[in-house]
Amino acid sequence: MWRFVLRRLLVSVPTVLVVVSLTWGLVRLAPGNFYSGEKKLPAAIERNIREKYGLDRPWYVQYGRMLAQTARGDFGASLKYPGTTVNEILRAALPVSATIGLCAYLLALVVGVTLGTLAALRQNSRTDYLTMAAAMIGLSIPNFVLGPSLVLVFALTWHWLPPARWAGVDRHLILPVLTLSAVYMAYIARLTRSGMLEVLRSNYIRTARAKGLSERAIVIRHALRGGLLPVLSFSGPALAFLITGTVVVERVFALPGLGNYFINANLNRDEPLILGIVAFISVVVLAFNLLVDVIYAYVDPRIRY
Amino acid sequence: MSLPSRVAHAVAPLAIVLSMAVGGCTRSSTASPYFGNATPPDGQHLRYISGAEPETLDPQLTTGQPEARIILALFDGLVEFDPRTAQPIPGLASRWDVNEDNTVFTFHLREGLQWSDGTPLTADEVAWSIRRGLTPALAARAAYLAYDIVHAQDFNEGRVFLQDPSTGAYLLQPDAADAVADGPDAIAQRLSLPSDAAARTTALATLGLSRAQHWRAVPVTAADVGIETPDARTVRFRLRAPTPYFPGLVGHQFFRPAPRRVIERYGDAWLQPGRAVTSGAFVLSAWRPYDAVVVTRNPRYWDAATVRLDTITFFAVEDQTTMMNLYKAGDVDATFNHTVPASWISHVRQFRDYQDAPEAAMEYLAFNTKRAPTDDVRVRRALNLAVDKDALARRRRVAKASTTMVPDGIFPGYAVPAGARFNPEAARRLLADAGYRDANGAFSPAAFPAADVELTYNTTESNKATAEFVQAQWKANLGITVALRNMEFKTFLQTRAALDYKGLARAGWVGDFMDPFTFLSLFALDGGDNGTGWTSSAFTDLLARANRDPNPERRNALLADAERLMLDAQPVLPLYASGTNWVKKPYVSGMYANPVTLHPWKFVWIEHDPAKWDTVTH
Repeated sequence: MWRFVLRRLLVSVPTVLVVVSLTWGLVRLAPGNFYSGEKKLPAAIERNIREKYGLDRPWYVQYGRMLAQTARGDFGASLKYPGTTVNEILRAALPVSATIGLCAYLLALVVGVTLGTLAALRQNSRTDYLTMAAAMIGLSIPNFVLGPSLVLVFALTWHWLPPARWAGVDRHLILPVLTLSAVYMAYIARLTRSGMLEVLRSNYIRTARAKGLSERAIVIRHALRGGLLPVLSFSGPALAFLITGTVVVERVFALPGLGNYFINANLNRDEPLILGIVAFISVVVLAFNLLVDVIYAYVDPRIRY
Repeated sequence: MSLPSRVAHAVAPLAIVLSMAVGGCTRSSTASPYFGNATPPDGQHLRYISGAEPETLDPQLTTGQPEARIILALFDGLVEFDPRTAQPIPGLASRWDVNEDNTVFTFHLREGLQWSDGTPLTADEVAWSIRRGLTPALAARAAYLAYDIVHAQDFNEGRVFLQDPSTGAYLLQPDAADAVADGPDAIAQRLSLPSDAAARTTALATLGLSRAQHWRAVPVTAADVGIETPDARTVRFRLRAPTPYFPGLVGHQFFRPAPRRVIERYGDAWLQPGRAVTSGAFVLSAWRPYDAVVVTRNPRYWDAATVRLDTITFFAVEDQTTMMNLYKAGDVDATFNHTVPASWISHVRQFRDYQDAPEAAMEYLAFNTKRAPTDDVRVRRALNLAVDKDALARRRRVAKASTTMVPDGIFPGYAVPAGARFNPEAARRLLADAGYRDANGAFSPAAFPAADVELTYNTTESNKATAEFVQAQWKANLGITVALRNMEFKTFLQTRAALDYKGLARAGWVGDFMDPFTFLSLFALDGGDNGTGWTSSAFTDLLARANRDPNPERRNALLADAERLMLDAQPVLPLYASGTNWVKKPYVSGMYANPVTLHPWKFVWIEHDPAKWDTVTH
């Protein structure tokens, strides 16, 4: 087990390096510069800027400097926001994205698993059809439609909730969390339903029934453990992406999260910020995937490392 | 609750949502003249959407409007913008004088100016800040704004002077008057050259000054820049050419003094709440990236008696629909310019919240005056007369029809000359005069070489719509069909500058400063942004005379003469001046739809008495 974890951690290092290097190359291939704007800059001013940021140095010098920074986990100052370092930005934006992402995930998990289990237990009943129809709708409505629609109803028509902005953990969170979790909720409901259906037909459940266990004990103690495996493997990447920021929801609700920074860093060609966020996201994705694999070993008796 | 009914409840809001999304935008609440919630907030707290997250609030390092909107609250300039006209009014300087040919400007600072930490603000700090902005190592993008100052560009570009090693004398400009021994006048006369030795040799040879080739190269320094501080309350600028609009330039944040001691102590990180020391009506009290910048009243401000707001929160919001949602719900009190989304405009403009005034930006078509048939002034005039610009402006929604090159009504004291109005009949007569006629002498569309005229534009939806409108006008009013041609932006700019287009090309100009000269100077030079091939020595002379004239009325009259001369030659077909497009609540007072949409916040307040709400703001 520990050898497995150690091996995965070692493999992660080159993975992150490759991701960061590819990103670095792609940023350079993109046309334009962090300082290019609508009005063309005089050549001398452009030269001053290139000298200040070392862009006049050979590419391998710049690449080496970037690798050294990545290794230290210090990406330096943002080009677009010269008074702020990339790490300060990550520290400020991450709690916002993580709060919303975690809340959305937990909501999706609780509602999705409940509805999915009910649908599986009463397969082909009205409950099943209605739940799955709702899930289908949830999957099909993009969040840039759902978000503004919720705002229209709950903020502008009924005046129950604020239309946007971040104010810590309070009512401002409700609409963005609902918007963000809808798709995940629907997906988890469908995954739970199909996982449960498969498990409920398996031999060990039949054995449990034959032993005369109550239906409640069968579902909660035995079936769910196996039935939720697809949800578990979906959760790793889903959670990683949810907590590292979601561009659309952050823009619609004007939230100061990582997703906003990431999309703008790309539009602004803000290289240190792009690399910092990419490196951070890849570490989080790798970590959550590893975590999920470890949990698998505990949940599924068939898997041993 | 049984499960099916729970699902039904989950679906019900969705149905409401969809029905409202379809019908919601067209419903208008006829009861209120205001858009959404018009309840003023408690106290004197303004909540303003200022656009994208500010890059920095360092006056010398920013170029953009999102930053300027906030900097206006924190840092005062020698001059401030008038809240209605955006013309310069006294700021840190209580007055300024100018010499007889508009090349030396002297600003007199008020007595007892201080920073928000109580230390005195002196003329030296004003000069230091501008020199700092010009320092090559700072790499300020807005440095070019100060290039009118003697040797400012030379310092920023890292150029050199040449010094005779034997006598110590500097090489002077070829047209320099008798050498002045010392002092700023002598420095101003020095010739600057590229720091690169090869480029320098070439430049010297061109000027016939090769004798100085082996003189010692001395880099231009900050001290050589033409800014002097004869005493602690006087700042004098020497300019390299007559620049009557210089006081207007000085309102830009690049020229606003920054606190030297604080910057020297904290470096790049000086703009954090608690560290930042300001000179304006407000101090920085919080900065939450991608959320809000909060400023509070500065009790040490020289004009603190005028300031009525206690707090301003500048929200960084990027999505226009989100802005409108926040505004409608009453969570913000005003927004920056161009924020009402296109699909909302027809709904929002019926409310008194909507702010709609001409801007310092002109959209027009350039004629290729070097190529038939548009080399004939009669053809150019005819094509101009045959476009109904009022109809175009109505279609564009956020636009003011224009018959002139300088936007009407935004430059106080400048009377735009009367331009030619829509008159298809006169257009056809002119074309007949130009030789495109049938046997009866009447205009004949078949005789017009329509194949030699195209309308070229850079590819955007909005340019395409305008081009199609103009094309349809000529078809309807003259019976000729002009082909449209679109190009990628950078290719287009090159094509237009090289006069590689047939007939007409789209053009737009956003004023660099608040003076008619920024629009007229386009045609003072052949090439560059001119794009028409037209220029005239009479026109250029009028502009030069205007800029040398220290009397504003005479100068405006000369500029208007120049514009009239240009419009007679018709190198351009003016279409419309852009309009502002933003909203503010009725209780926000002292905030006006000015042509640059920059608001000096000290004049703004929240009016709690509905009887005093200013419903007409411009």
